[in-house]
Amino acid sequence: MNIINLTENPNRPDIFHKYNVESRHALVIDNGSFKCRAGWSNSEKPILDFRNFILKPRRDRRKEVTDPLINKHTQIGNAITNLESVRLNLKTQFDRNIVTHFHNQEQIFDYIFAHLGVHNEESFTHPVLLTEALGNPNYFRQQMNELLFECYGIPSVCYGIDSLFSMRHNAVGSDTLIISFGYNTTHVIPVLDGQMRIENVRRLNLGGYHIIHYLHRLMQMKYPMHINAITISKIETLLHCHSSIALDYLEELRRWSDIDYYTDNVKKIQLAFVMPTTQGTPQNQDQKIEKRKELTRRLIEINARRAKSKQLDMENQLRFMSSVRELYEIGEMVEFEAALKQNDIENVVALDKTISSLRARLQQMETSTQDSSQIANRAPKEKTSNNKKPPTDVPLEKWVSEINLKRDEILGRKEVRKARRQEAAKRHTAAAQERMRIISLLAHNDKGIDNFGVNDNDWDVYKSINKDNESDSESDNEKLLEYETILSKHDPSFKQNAIQSSDVAENYQLHFSVESIRAPEILFQPSLIGCPEMGVADLIDFVLKLFPADEQQRLVNGILLTGGCSQFAGLKERLSKELLEKRPFKTPFKIYAAPSPEIDAWLGARDFANSNDFNNSLTLKSDYEEKGSDYFKDHLYSNRYYANA
Amino acid sequence: MSEEPPKICFKNPKYSYIEPGGKKHVFKSLKQILAVEKTQQWPEGAMTYSSFNAPPSLRPPKKYSDISGLIAPYTDPHSKLRYANAEEYSIVKTLPSDIVAGYLALRGASSIVG
Repeated sequence: MNIINLTENPNRPDIFHKYNVESRHALVIDNGSFKCRAGWSNSEKPILDFRNFILKPRRDRRKEVTDPLINKHTQIGNAITNLESVRLNLKTQFDRNIVTHFHNQEQIFDYIFAHLGVHNEESFTHPVLLTEALGNPNYFRQQMNELLFECYGIPSVCYGIDSLFSMRHNAVGSDTLIISFGYNTTHVIPVLDGQMRIENVRRLNLGGYHIIHYLHRLMQMKYPMHINAITISKIETLLHCHSSIALDYLEELRRWSDIDYYTDNVKKIQLAFVMPTTQGTPQNQDQKIEKRKELTRRLIEINARRAKSKQLDMENQLRFMSSVRELYEIGEMVEFEAALKQNDIENVVALDKTISSLRARLQQMETSTQDSSQIANRAPKEKTSNNKKPPTDVPLEKWVSEINLKRDEILGRKEVRKARRQEAAKRHTAAAQERMRIISLLAHNDKGIDNFGVNDNDWDVYKSINKDNESDSESDNEKLLEYETILSKHDPSFKQNAIQSSDVAENYQLHFSVESIRAPEILFQPSLIGCPEMGVADLIDFVLKLFPADEQQRLVNGILLTGGCSQFAGLKERLSKELLEKRPFKTPFKIYAAPSPEIDAWLGARDFANSNDFNNSLTLKSDYEEKGSDYFKDHLYSNRYYANA
Repeated sequence: MSEEPPKICFKNPKYSYIEPGGKKHVFKSLKQILAVEKTQQWPEGAMTYSSFNAPPSLRPPKKYSDISGLIAPYTDPHSKLRYANAEEYSIVKTLPSDIVAGYLALRGASSIVG
């Protein structure tokens, strides 16, 4: 059995690094919509690597506004350690793959500068190399320029495209077809003689984000009871570790439809659960019963004591009243009057009345106490008689099997009734039509007088209507319950069945089967999520067809797969297969998968920042001031600059 | 929780995204800007964000079961869900309406015009 325990890796907060970098080194930031990597151009690896997430502190509306937000600051990236609990409040600076929310971007920059340790400097003296999306509109670049130059006062900036830097780092050749699988988008970028052919670049607006959310919803709807336990973090791990791209999707589906293949290959994800407290061991049960008995006994005692004291009171009162009455009979009128006054009694008649009523109540009390003691003695006996035992003259096995048969019979009857009910609910069945016929006959009344019900037999018509519609009878249900209790007591096989069906751990397992190939497949068939664009394989073919045959061949000799989503198992094989189908017969092609697709864009950008071309590619603050706020210098690895006409 | 984030000394203190009235600056969305870009005049051969979009698919979309993902030859006329076999149909019949709507939305088929 393939049981997976998904662990959510909590983030570790980034440390604050020391700043001791010469100002000729550039600050390299790969600002991706999934993750942001930042570091100096003289470092081996990006120093910071965090998810581009922002968590703003939220003021509790119920609390006073003046309450200072103690320990509440904006948290970013790895500082958010409780990702799932705040998932809904996370903000990002991105709209699709473009930075649009610059107040969030400002927070991200603050975070980067603080963690690189430069925040205490008087001014920032390093050039900045920042990646941006292909085709980033001028408006947003202008905003970025404004933020960098006006707010942070940086000396110069260089914008580049992450996929092109990735190509630079992987150095496949001067002719490359880059296929970049990003978080929000997938790009197909043809590069000939080291120059990006920007007019033939195409973008599929699908990426890891869509895969994650598709799988998330699929699993949630498959298991609605675990809707809150299926978190995005878990889905991400599931995609990273247990999903793949099918070589032949239809063939894979055919295999999954076979039940044996399914049981052999299905992965079961064990969710955390709490074992419900079981019905209690027999010993526990006995103790409970004992306790209950003890309690009832004590209650009865208390009641009896109370009744007894009341009885005594009344007897005393009666005795006193009788003595007063005697005084009246003897003729001691003065004393008698005083006694009456003392007890608020008007005259002799009233006295007689109270005496007689007291007598009656006393008598009643005596009889009732006798009754209750009888009940108390009888009650436990009734309960024990409920546990049925096999008749002494029949062997146990035979008795059990008989009961089993009876139970099956009742179950069968219930089943038949249910089927009949369902049948009756449909309009076209014979039963339903007969019913409608009777009802319409009843409604049809040509005499114009309604004497239905005058004759008692009239009501029998409902018996014929409802004949097939009766609900499960009470007695059947009761009997079923009785049989089941007997069986669970005397039939070991029955008990086992019941336990198996209610295995708790299994209820908390998610079956992960077709979904493992279904979710990543949306890259190849966007129609799966209702996206009208063509799949990545078709898009590659489309882009290739924009070139003459010889250039097509040069491009396919160096296909580079990069971007986080290119790490799906089976992606290279699938693309090979698709290309083999689409390319002319017997023409070669070569696919390279980037060895470290997550950070090679940053590494390529760092290499570029250390090259001689870098200084010529910088947009200086003076350029920003003179040539327009949306101006930037374009170079080999950047977008083209088109001034608005 | 987190400690106080350190102050960035070289930051221009006057630069702020909160406007003088105390109102937050409203950022234009990508969609708005793309609409503007379409109306603007561009030099010959210029590529804007929208011109990179992949063309629509020319293949007829394959029909997969909403529930299992298998090839689905049938559609339930009542819920409009696709299903692969009788067993799945019995599941489709019992699905509550929110799940049905969820599956349709996931496939992008929840539009009335659709």
